[in-house]
Amino acid sequence: MTRKLDGRVIVVTGATKGIGRAVAERLAGEGAVVIATGRDREGGAETQRRILAAGGQAIFVQHDVTREADWQRVMVEAETRGGLAGLVNNAGMFFVKALAETSEADFDAIYAVNVEGTFLGVREAFKAFAKAGRAGAIVNVSSLMGLVGYPNATAYCATKGAVTGLTKAAALDGGGMTPKVRVNSLHPGVIWTEMITGQFGDSQALADAFAADTPLRMVGRPEHMAEAVLYLISDDSAFVTGAELTVDGGRGAD
Amino acid sequence: MAEEQELSGRAAVVTGGSRGIGFAIAERFTRAGAGVVLTGRDLGAGEAAARTLRAAGGRAVFVQADQADDKAWSQTIALAERTFGGVDIVVLNAGVSAMTRTVDLSLEDFRAINAVNLKGPFLGLKHGVAAMRRRGLGGSVIMIASIAGKIGVADHIHYTAAKAGVRLLAKAAALELGPEQIRVNTVHPGFIRTEMSADFPEAVIKTAPLQRMGEPGEVAEAALFLASARSAFMTGAEIVIDGGWTVR
Repeated sequence: MTRKLDGRVIVVTGATKGIGRAVAERLAGEGAVVIATGRDREGGAETQRRILAAGGQAIFVQHDVTREADWQRVMVEAETRGGLAGLVNNAGMFFVKALAETSEADFDAIYAVNVEGTFLGVREAFKAFAKAGRAGAIVNVSSLMGLVGYPNATAYCATKGAVTGLTKAAALDGGGMTPKVRVNSLHPGVIWTEMITGQFGDSQALADAFAADTPLRMVGRPEHMAEAVLYLISDDSAFVTGAELTVDGGRGAD
Repeated sequence: MAEEQELSGRAAVVTGGSRGIGFAIAERFTRAGAGVVLTGRDLGAGEAAARTLRAAGGRAVFVQADQADDKAWSQTIALAERTFGGVDIVVLNAGVSAMTRTVDLSLEDFRAINAVNLKGPFLGLKHGVAAMRRRGLGGSVIMIASIAGKIGVADHIHYTAAKAGVRLLAKAAALELGPEQIRVNTVHPGFIRTEMSADFPEAVIKTAPLQRMGEPGEVAEAALFLASARSAFMTGAEIVIDGGWTVR
C-alpha cells in the first residue's frame, strides 16, 4: 500500500506533547521521516520512542523556534536526510490575561514564539525547499482565536491573527518560488491538551462546559488536528494554498 | 453646523498624525470640535502639522513619540490628560512598510515592522484604555489596519502579519472592553493617495471596481464615524475602504 508521505522529510515543531506529538505520529504513520522538535528533551524523546515503536522514522532535535541558530541546525538535519519536503509550524504559547495585566514583556514573549517563530520557519523552509529542489508544503497552526476574538486574550489573538495573515502573504510568496511551496493555516478550536488544561484546569466538568458550548457537543482531540495537518501537508491538498482550515467542532460558526 | 461639532469636548490621540492619513484624521477631528494630541517620530513635521491645525482654529498639540515605545505612551497620555482633561478616542494610525522577499527578510527587519505596526497598537490600546477608565465615560479605539491582513500581499510578510494581528487584537479587545462601553474597531484602507503609495502604478489601481485611489480624507470620515456616537452600537467591526479591491 502506498503511503501518502513515503520518505518525505517533515519538520514538526512543538512535537514534545499535545497536538505536535499527535501530528508527528500521524505523519510518520504515512511514511514521513519526521524531525520532531521542541525545547523539552524528555518529551521529544518520548515522541521519537513512540514513532519508532510503531515502525516509523523520527529523530528529535532540541529547538527553540525563536532562535535563528536553532532553525539552522534543524534544517541541516533535514538536508542530511534527503531534503525538506514539509514543515508544520506548531509550537506556540498561550495565556489568558486581562489587557491591564498584560505587560510589554508578556506581549514580547508570546509574539516571539507565535509570530517570529512562525516567520523564521517559513523563511528557512522556503530556502530548504529551494535547496532540495522539491515542492514543499507548510502548515501554520494558528487558532480559532486567529479568526475570532476571545475575551482577556488580546496578546494571544494578536499573535494568532498575525499567523493567519502571515500565512496568506507566505502563500503568495510560495507560489512564486521554484519549485512551488504551498502554505496554509490550521485553526483549532478547543483541543483537550495541556495548553488548555494548564490555563483553565483539567477537569471533566470544564471539558463538558466547553463541549456544551460547541455545536458538535465535544472538545477536540490532538488526533483531529493530526488528520487535518495530514491533509494540508500531503498531495491531497495539491490545489490548496493560502487557505484557512478551521477544525473546531463548529465553535467559529456561532 | 451641529454635525460639525459632534466631537466637541472630546479628547483624541492620533498616532502618525503629522502627515497622510493620520493628519487627515487629526484635521477632521479638530474640525468636529475634538482636542487632538498628534504623535509622530518627526519633530519638525509634527509641530508644523499641529501649527496648521491651530491656525485653522483647531485645538491640537504634537508630541514626539514612537508608537512602539511604552514610555512614550505614558507621556502622550499624560499630555492628553493635562491639555484636554482626558482621553476619549485613540486612533492607532502610525505604521511603517517595506517590501522584501520572504527569503531575504532578516529577523531584525521583520521585528522592526511588527514593533511599530503590531506591538504599537497593543501598547496604545493598553495606555489609552487605562486613561478611558480613569475618566469612566467609555471610549472609542480605532485601529488603522490595512487590506493587507485581510488578504495576503506578496513580498510583505511582515506587514501582512502585523496588520492581520491588529485585526484580531481589536476583536479580542472589543470582547473584553464591551461591558465598559469602550469600543474597538478597525479600518482597512486599500490604496490611498499618500507618500507611502506615491509610486504605485496607475494601471494596477484601475483594476479595482472604483478604478481610483482613495483620498486620506475618505479614511478620516470613517475614523470620525467610529469616533462619534453615530457608531455607538459598533464594536469589533471592520470598515474596508479600498474602492472594492478586496472583493475581486
